[in-house]
Amino acid sequence: MNKELEHQFVTELENNQNIVHKVCSLYTNDRDSHNDLFQEITIQLWKAYPKFRGESKFSTWMYRVALNTAITLYRKSKRQVITQDYESVIFKIKADEYDETQEKQLKLMYNAVKQLGDIEKALVFLYLEDKDYREIAETLGITEVNARVKMNRIKNKLKTILNP
Amino acid sequence: MMDELELLKKDWQKKGAELPKLSFDEIQNMLWKKSSSIVRWILIISVLEISLPQLLFLFPSIRNSMALFDNSTFNLGILILSIFYYAVVIYFIYLFYKRYKEISVLENAKNLMDKIILTRKTVFYYIVFSLSMFFVFFLYYALEMYFMDDVLMSIEGFEEVLKKRSLEEIRSMVFWGVILGGFFFTLVMGGIYFLLYGILLGKLKSNYRELKRLEI
Repeated sequence: MNKELEHQFVTELENNQNIVHKVCSLYTNDRDSHNDLFQEITIQLWKAYPKFRGESKFSTWMYRVALNTAITLYRKSKRQVITQDYESVIFKIKADEYDETQEKQLKLMYNAVKQLGDIEKALVFLYLEDKDYREIAETLGITEVNARVKMNRIKNKLKTILNP
Repeated sequence: MMDELELLKKDWQKKGAELPKLSFDEIQNMLWKKSSSIVRWILIISVLEISLPQLLFLFPSIRNSMALFDNSTFNLGILILSIFYYAVVIYFIYLFYKRYKEISVLENAKNLMDKIILTRKTVFYYIVFSLSMFFVFFLYYALEMYFMDDVLMSIEGFEEVLKKRSLEEIRSMVFWGVILGGFFFTLVMGGIYFLLYGILLGKLKSNYRELKRLEI
């Protein structure tokens, strides 16, 4: 039974691992921390898995656990050293799909997002993942109105970072 | 700006090929690794904090020095204080366990932080209580020694000392010695505790404040 559950869980996570990688690339700055956070999220997901009874989609449930781990449970991110040779996955932009200005804009945007606070990153992450304000509010435990207000403030903040 | 964020969103959702890809086996191996989460650390440190004051009482030297005082009123006082102390300790352990169990990663971010902070606060109150009780014990010793000469007399070799100094002098010396000792002991224990607390919860606290600010 346990083996079956484990197999089922690993398969689900393998298929949905992009979500976790995206969270890791937002909250960490080097490969070691990325893998470290990925591992911690995996452990937390696995511990919570018996309580997940398929009431929601596996991926929906993953967002919450992954963000909770990154924001609250994971402690190491403060002592990061940014290594020169490592370019976070989110900075890898396929040059052939965009013109030069767009490519430059994207790089600036990703840079600006990386400078945001932990909670702000969570909001932006859910926004980029195309979640509606109700789901953003529920994941963070704030009201929908506050989620909208905060998102607008973040947009303004990004604007200031981009055009100082 | 809106356009830029939409551009970002489009690019973000196309990400996939650039992301690392872990194999089934790699993920499976991770399941059995130890968690380094803050909740695990809180459990480890709290168990240490709860048991450490208890271990102090088990030190043979401390027990022996307590046994020195062969005085029934004195012992009764200690007994009552001890019963009270342990009753409260057991209550705290129960409360801590209950709150620790309620921490769930499936909660929303705010509730999760609330519960972690509440669990931590339980240990915090326990520490404040324990330290105060330590001080009360010290105070009790000091007062007993001051007001009951036979407690002092029962200490081995006391008669030798009595030849050199007057009883009143020794009384005050012992009284202030024990009080000051108790005070510094409480201070050092408290200092160590608050340092640990600060290091562990620094990041959580700042994120919690950020979330709280959203609600104003």
